[in-house]
Amino acid sequence: MTADATRTGDEPGTTDATRVDDAPADVAEPSTSPTVVGPAGPTSVVRDGAFWAWTALGLLIVVGLAALTRYLEQNVPAWAEGSAVEDIGAAIEYPVYAILLGLLGNVAVTLLGWRDRIAAAFRTEFFIKTGLVLLGASINLAVIASAAGPAIAQAILLISGVFLFTWWLAGRFGLDDKLRALLASAVSICGVSAAIAAAGAVRARREQLAYTASLVIVFALPSIFILPWLADVFGLSDAVAGAWIGGNIDTTAAVTAAGALAGEEALQIASIVKVTQNALMGVVAVALTAYFTLRVERRPGAARPGLGELWARFPKFVLGFIAASVIATWYLDSTGADGKATIAIVNDLRVWFLILAFVSIGLEVRVASLREAGWRPVAVFASATVFNLALALGLASVLFRNFSA
Amino acid sequence: MTTDPSPPNPETAGESRLAFNEDWVATILGLALLALVLLGAIPAGLVP
Repeated sequence: MTADATRTGDEPGTTDATRVDDAPADVAEPSTSPTVVGPAGPTSVVRDGAFWAWTALGLLIVVGLAALTRYLEQNVPAWAEGSAVEDIGAAIEYPVYAILLGLLGNVAVTLLGWRDRIAAAFRTEFFIKTGLVLLGASINLAVIASAAGPAIAQAILLISGVFLFTWWLAGRFGLDDKLRALLASAVSICGVSAAIAAAGAVRARREQLAYTASLVIVFALPSIFILPWLADVFGLSDAVAGAWIGGNIDTTAAVTAAGALAGEEALQIASIVKVTQNALMGVVAVALTAYFTLRVERRPGAARPGLGELWARFPKFVLGFIAASVIATWYLDSTGADGKATIAIVNDLRVWFLILAFVSIGLEVRVASLREAGWRPVAVFASATVFNLALALGLASVLFRNFSA
Repeated sequence: MTTDPSPPNPETAGESRLAFNEDWVATILGLALLALVLLGAIPAGLVP
């Protein structure tokens, strides 16, 4: 990636089109996510035999690292027993192994020159969405029903507050409107998914999307470890900790990783809060489409986006999450205690998909693109993250203070 | 505020569609796995 995203900010008086035309052909070369730039290159995606062979190799690497994660998670506590690191061995959970192995794998495939060729296999979003649907099966419908009210209230207040703050701050830093929309959506809603939705809504350039996705992942990684630790330091209840994690960390996969580190109840609340934010993504995308079509670009004859557009942008896996909860709640009501062992198998499958997602996060990280893009968007993103942290903590503490399922 | 007279960026538009198709695939796969477990087609020993 060139420093295009920063140049936008450096030259507020110029238009995007000029810079796009001036940009070199390899402008988006370093992909941050397979959904952003395919291994075949930024300008065309060729699905030939070589592409599928490299993708199969990438998938093999992701699954291999996931299997190694599972192996370490199950065996390290026993290996460490009786040694000086017994407590640490017992405390480390699968998100830590998965992300570290993903990062190590990232270094290895980068050194081998394979990274961009196999990047299509790093399907973080797909793995996490499948994992979340399966997670729905472990959450009683009563918990979703109890948490829905405060989760929706928190999501609306948080998305509005953080989006407007980030939009305003990015404007003060002189960033281009499209990059402002991408950064604001990513910080306030749900990271890479929201950035993709916003990019489609405002017709952003792919290097802006790749850059925003990099920021999301680089900022999410430390949050996975820092937030559960801070929740412990602050003495937050599981529900408040979950709501804070779910409302604050940008990308859904990282929310799940942090929630898993904070405990099962925190994970459930964090997931419900994050899924609620995901559900509101469609509303924001449609509002952005309308704003950019009618106010920023003023395209003549442009129609206002309707309900069809809202449905098209609605994250459908939210329906799967709720359906899985309904099915599992009914199943447990019918079978009683016997059914718990069956749901435990679903939980194991869920862990596998979450591990696949966390390994992919580690494999996707690309710090170089941030360095090349300059400091201004990083400063905006960091400031917005701190604002999000404080606002989410305040809202979670108020809305989930007396939460009980 | 800047203006952008350039045509729609086909890559980001395509990725947006891809992302939402991925939603349906994830939903169907997740629910299918749940159904297979509840029906006994995936026993405990099959998931390491």
